[in-house]
Amino acid sequence: MDESSTVIETKNLTKRFKDVHAVNSLNLRVRKGEIYGFLGPNGAGKSTTIRMIMGLVRPTSGEAYVNGRLVSGGAADIRNAIGFLPERISFYNNLTPVQTLNFFCELRRADKSVVPKLIEDVGLSESANRKVGTFSKGMTQLLGVAQAMIGGPSIYIMDEPTGGLDAMWVKMVRDKLKSLNEQGATIIFSSHILSEVQSLCDRVAIIDRGKLVAEDTIESISSGLNIRPRLAINSPGLNGKVPDWVLKVDGVEEAVADGDTLTVTCPSDARLSVMTALQKGGLAVKDFRTLEPSLEEAFVKLLSDGEVP
Amino acid sequence: MPIALRPIYTIAKKEISDNVRNKWILAMIAIFLTLSIASSFMAGEGQIGDMERTVGALISISSMLVPIISIMLGYGSISGEVESGALSVVLSYPVRRVEILLGKYLGLGAVICFSILVGFGVSGLTIALTTGTAQWAAYFDFILLTMLLGMLYLSLSMCFSSILKRRVTSLAAGIVVFFLGLILGMIMMGAWMATGGSLDEMMTGDTSSMPDWLWFEVFVSPQDGNGAAAMLAFGTTEFFGFEMDLPPWISLGTLALAQLIWTIVPLTLSCIFIQRRDI
Repeated sequence: MDESSTVIETKNLTKRFKDVHAVNSLNLRVRKGEIYGFLGPNGAGKSTTIRMIMGLVRPTSGEAYVNGRLVSGGAADIRNAIGFLPERISFYNNLTPVQTLNFFCELRRADKSVVPKLIEDVGLSESANRKVGTFSKGMTQLLGVAQAMIGGPSIYIMDEPTGGLDAMWVKMVRDKLKSLNEQGATIIFSSHILSEVQSLCDRVAIIDRGKLVAEDTIESISSGLNIRPRLAINSPGLNGKVPDWVLKVDGVEEAVADGDTLTVTCPSDARLSVMTALQKGGLAVKDFRTLEPSLEEAFVKLLSDGEVP
Repeated sequence: MPIALRPIYTIAKKEISDNVRNKWILAMIAIFLTLSIASSFMAGEGQIGDMERTVGALISISSMLVPIISIMLGYGSISGEVESGALSVVLSYPVRRVEILLGKYLGLGAVICFSILVGFGVSGLTIALTTGTAQWAAYFDFILLTMLLGMLYLSLSMCFSSILKRRVTSLAAGIVVFFLGLILGMIMMGAWMATGGSLDEMMTGDTSSMPDWLWFEVFVSPQDGNGAAAMLAFGTTEFFGFEMDLPPWISLGTLALAQLIWTIVPLTLSCIFIQRRDI
């Protein structure tokens, strides 16, 4: 990978709490301009890794770099380039959103005239003069997204950015992240919601028990795990039974019937043969679609058998 | 790496604004003003007493109240914000941990000092207009010493807040240190009497039998040191509540220096510990 395109890098990053390795020799690289997903079960070490990259937690060993600069070197100006949303966001309860964002603008020496627009962007205009202490969790999260955007940083690090939000606001945050990325920002975010990561990310890193299990595009991880695309056929009259003659079609590896839906694992050049076989056997093909490998399948497979592609 | 002044200013300004907004400053000014006027009336037996008698009546209460206020302001300043997660957000900005600490210390310190200055200052003006300005310099020294006591306990409480994980533990540590300061004199006096000392001698002002280590009490207990220094400002030599000749090395200057050391050392430790802790 071209070093100059690396915005965040960890080298053997390790954090030990007494006898527990929360993060164990983690080596990650995030490229400029990508949306990078960070996945893992609860307690995998995602938040600890993010906090070490942000300089909030000191590594036991190893290093983290932001834009080529060592995080533990103490230079605070590294964080000029970063907009951060921690997992558990909290502000000063006695301040309004306007006062809160003004304070952070001063810390970043950013122009305060952007504050009304930031508040509007996250849908908090009606609550702009209410104290943050009266906010719901979702509203606080939205304010967190707004503060991360102060100064227009080139890197966004977000730990569970849609946590606590309802569907409408989840979409808003997701759209916002996409828009920021289209403007050139690099986005790193951790999430439990695999569908969200799948829909947004260029690459993902999956960690489990502090160790990196996989880091690549979803397609590469899936193909490495031998998770193939499948063909889902809606065939009225199937009644949950897989016809024998479908299994005999050249290239078919597996077929599962659920009601009138037949799901077949086969290469793309065998799909026409499968549908022809169904029709020859007296079953109609009402419609069909391709099921691409899902991140969830890869995630479950990786964590259940520890397989690394 | 040099410390930047601008983020310190921003943080300090926020702390001051918070305490103006929540009317803490007004409340403290009212407390100090009421306390000092009431003490003056008590000292003057129903009329405004002069400055020395006012301070004599006031010192025992102010040397308890000011530390309590400082502890209340400082105990959650770091550990509380780590617990709530607010400090994680602030530290995602280009500001160093030491700058945050110093900004909070200066901001909260300004709140305490301003409240003391206005509260005791207005009452001092009232007393001066009524009884004369003969002791205004000593009264001003008393105000400065009270501010120093406030900064001292703020430094201690923020030190605990920087070291300890939870705000509740920080508060407990501050309260323990406060009470130790209150009772240290009694403990040391008890130890002296248990080793052959006599209270009768102290009551006559005879200090010949008093060991040096007993005198050190005013350097070790911030409250008692503050009280002794305030009395010395008015030319009164008082120790353990009794008038007596003090050793030459106990003076307003040495007591103020001790209080300054009590302020600087915990603050320095705070700067060290805040850089090491995980947020």
